[in-house]
Amino acid sequence: MCGIVGYIGRRQAAPLILDGLKKLEYRGYDSFGIATLGCDLEIEKHKGRISEYSGALQLQGNIGIGHTRWATHGIPNDINAHPHVDCTNRIAVVHNGIVENFAELKKALTARGHTFRSQTDTEVVVHLVEEQYGKGTDLLSAVRKILPALKGSYALLIIAVGSDCIIAARNGSPLVLGIGDNEYFAASDMTPVLDYTDRAVFLEDGDIACMTKNGIEIYQDTCRVNRPVELIDWSPEEGRKGGFAHYMLKEIYEQPQAFFNTLRTVDKHTLPSFVCKFPSVTLVACGSSYHTGLIFKYLLEESCGVPVFVDVASEFRYFHPPLEGLVIGITQSGETADTLTALKLAQKHNCQTLAITNVLGSSASRVADATLFMRAGPEISVAATKSFIAQLAVLMQIIDARCDGRFENVLHRAHQAIEEVLLIDLSPAVELCRNAQSIFYIGRGPFYPVALEGALKMKEISYIHAEGYAAGELKHGPFALLSPDTPVIAMCMPGETYAVMVSNIKEIKARGAPVIAFGNEDDVELSDVVDLFISLPQAHSFVDVLTSIVALQILAYRTAVALGRDIDKPRNLAKSVTVE
Amino acid sequence: MQAVILAAGEGRRVRPLTWSRPKAMIPVANQPIIAYTIDALVTNGIRDIIVVVGYRKEHVTRFLNQIDLPIEVVIQEKQLGTAHALQQTACQIKGDFLLLPGDNYIDAQSVAKIKDIKNAVLVKEHPNPSNFGVVTVRDGRVDSIVEKPDNATSFLVSTGIYSLPADFFQYIRGNDVTEAISCMVESGIDVHAVIADDWQDAIYPWDLIRLNQRLLRHLPTGREGIASRHATFQGPVHIGKGTTIGPNTVISGPVIIGNDCTIGPNSCILPNTSIGSRVTVEPLSLLGNSIVMDDTSIASHSRILDSIVGERCVLGDHISTATAGGFLEIEGKPIHSHFGAILGDHVNCGSFTRIRNGMVGNNVTFEGNRDVISRIIPDNTLVI
Repeated sequence: MCGIVGYIGRRQAAPLILDGLKKLEYRGYDSFGIATLGCDLEIEKHKGRISEYSGALQLQGNIGIGHTRWATHGIPNDINAHPHVDCTNRIAVVHNGIVENFAELKKALTARGHTFRSQTDTEVVVHLVEEQYGKGTDLLSAVRKILPALKGSYALLIIAVGSDCIIAARNGSPLVLGIGDNEYFAASDMTPVLDYTDRAVFLEDGDIACMTKNGIEIYQDTCRVNRPVELIDWSPEEGRKGGFAHYMLKEIYEQPQAFFNTLRTVDKHTLPSFVCKFPSVTLVACGSSYHTGLIFKYLLEESCGVPVFVDVASEFRYFHPPLEGLVIGITQSGETADTLTALKLAQKHNCQTLAITNVLGSSASRVADATLFMRAGPEISVAATKSFIAQLAVLMQIIDARCDGRFENVLHRAHQAIEEVLLIDLSPAVELCRNAQSIFYIGRGPFYPVALEGALKMKEISYIHAEGYAAGELKHGPFALLSPDTPVIAMCMPGETYAVMVSNIKEIKARGAPVIAFGNEDDVELSDVVDLFISLPQAHSFVDVLTSIVALQILAYRTAVALGRDIDKPRNLAKSVTVE
Repeated sequence: MQAVILAAGEGRRVRPLTWSRPKAMIPVANQPIIAYTIDALVTNGIRDIIVVVGYRKEHVTRFLNQIDLPIEVVIQEKQLGTAHALQQTACQIKGDFLLLPGDNYIDAQSVAKIKDIKNAVLVKEHPNPSNFGVVTVRDGRVDSIVEKPDNATSFLVSTGIYSLPADFFQYIRGNDVTEAISCMVESGIDVHAVIADDWQDAIYPWDLIRLNQRLLRHLPTGREGIASRHATFQGPVHIGKGTTIGPNTVISGPVIIGNDCTIGPNSCILPNTSIGSRVTVEPLSLLGNSIVMDDTSIASHSRILDSIVGERCVLGDHISTATAGGFLEIEGKPIHSHFGAILGDHVNCGSFTRIRNGMVGNNVTFEGNRDVISRIIPDNTLVI
């Protein structure tokens, strides 16, 4: 998981690439580096976050490549930072992905006399190119010759002294080419490019592109191919923080709009017909997306009795259930490695596949038979917020289609309830949570995955240990951990589980743990039972799910702010996980 | 040139409309008031804009993010006054600058008048000067300025729009900008008084109805939605994307309707009406001289005149508002008012509710068949 940017054109490449890498920081942030082609190959690399780098780059030239790293092979330091160069300092490469057979390649290369400077898998690529380039072969043919030797995933950008071009190659990792006026960009996603152009070409697996100042030529092996130029409708503003303190807060506040936009674009006329007919459905996803899958299971099984299986993608690919019916892969970035493999596996079992993703032209949309796009706009913060709500919008729209439009009115007013939740004051709850050792989240039915998601948000950005449980499960073990320092957050919405939730809360209270309950605004009973009662607008149960998630997101955010955490880039995490 | 817009204050006298948004974000003619201030600045080529936000700051920031301008946002944590708000921007100010309130309407011409004069205040005559900073002028220069006096000595008031020098911060003493200006005047610096062309402030909620009329005056006609062939349009009518107008609906402009609305059939919309986005107006209803905000639905046989309806309201059938005058108690003082109804956000009105000169808070529910006459109903009430 890394971010790469390349530029060729009339401007100075280094500042432009530095700026672009800052926008890709969510893909990795432990070190970064830039190489440009001036009179000679010039390189600068630094350990640490690119956003914290304030020095001036001394790099000259109109051609350049850059990289921001999330370490997989070799610790983060200046040496292991990309770009990597060959023995003669003529060729530089940046790489996103993993070369799986790098150990054997490295052994062979060392035997042939190459000196390795870093511990990374990437460095084998540049030495392989070195062996081919120069002896009457241009850079494009040199790269073409070595690519079959690489096993694994890669998005590569390569420059070399003596060639006025950037060679881009893609296999399994994302790579977008941006097309400006006599200038060309390459990047891991569109965000760095948006300031300069809205035209883009999405490379396919196996593509090699030769970018020069006069144009782009794309090859599959030696065959010239044409890829369509797509117009991207994200505005650069959407990728910026605006006046908000953090991207996460901005994205929380964009949720009513994200939900409404998604609902409008994914209506029953645009749903692929097989989505409405399946006898059973399997969902595969990771992280927050897995929780949306669980919510979908509860809601769909209850409303129309279709069996739903939900699996964590990383487990599914090795230990999958007998596969039949429809398989849905949910991934915000469309690049999550495990989900992609799971979708490919489902196809091998002759299942129809559907991807739900936020990124146009992402790998998931190419792997799956059909794709539904959530219109959430770019999500920068590592903690998923608006993409979660937009995923639910897509899934709820599928339920609505299966139930002949029974929920149409409910869904079309849902964004209003979300808007109301944004106004709720959670400061007393934050006071209770900020000093906690652990926090337990409990809920029943669809609010069980809501509890899981609430706990995930809390632990990933505030670093407080938080766990979500089905309310009945707390008695089977976790009760031993309850103390006055472990607040319990209970999702206590009206419905058939309301009474049993209240008695669960009383049991918890009896063990001395403070309870924060989220309930309906008409509730009269809860406020006497719990330490802190937070009321959410009264609505249909579908909408209750949405509003309670938004409330928990805000709680996690406010707690993390109170603790002074790095909210948009929590430690040890990356936005999308493109390694297994 | 830089410009600072103050949008941190709640606007308490405009409650209940400022429960979910600051006064600067109240939509008038389907745009928040602050958007008109920004427009006036941009028309004058001023693009270096700093906005001070505070109350419900996320809502202002979300709106500013949608504008295609690199606006800088500064946060005032506690709303202590206009001078305190301005002081938050001290590190951003690099030279002479303009200071504007975000919750007043100002036209571009007035901004043009003041922007090239060093040390100036834009003034305007107002029938109720004691709500503002009252200015006395001698030879085109400010003689004195007093904030909200009990006995006003002149009808000239400060519009809150100033052209100020970079070293203005040294004059700030109290929490209000007017105090700092009088401090400047006392230390012998000339402050010019420039008369504004068109400046409108809404002190109380019902003043917004008049502001709405004023802002709809220059509405261009536009049709982005679908209108039935049998609908009748007169005057300037602007219909947003995705809106459908049913047959036999009569709309006489100036009327602006937002996106994704459903109006009619057989409804009538009279002049000076602004309807937000995703609003439903069912058949046989009459609207006029009103502001209806986003996501509201109005059932059939209703009559909404001289009124403001907040976001997400659900009005049942046969709701009627009647325009009347009366005294309402605002911040402890009886204030004369003249309007139909003012509803906050998320008001549920049962059928046959009648409101005359009534102000209804947020999240209020009427069980139906009730009368409200010259009253203020507080937030979160259930009226049985």
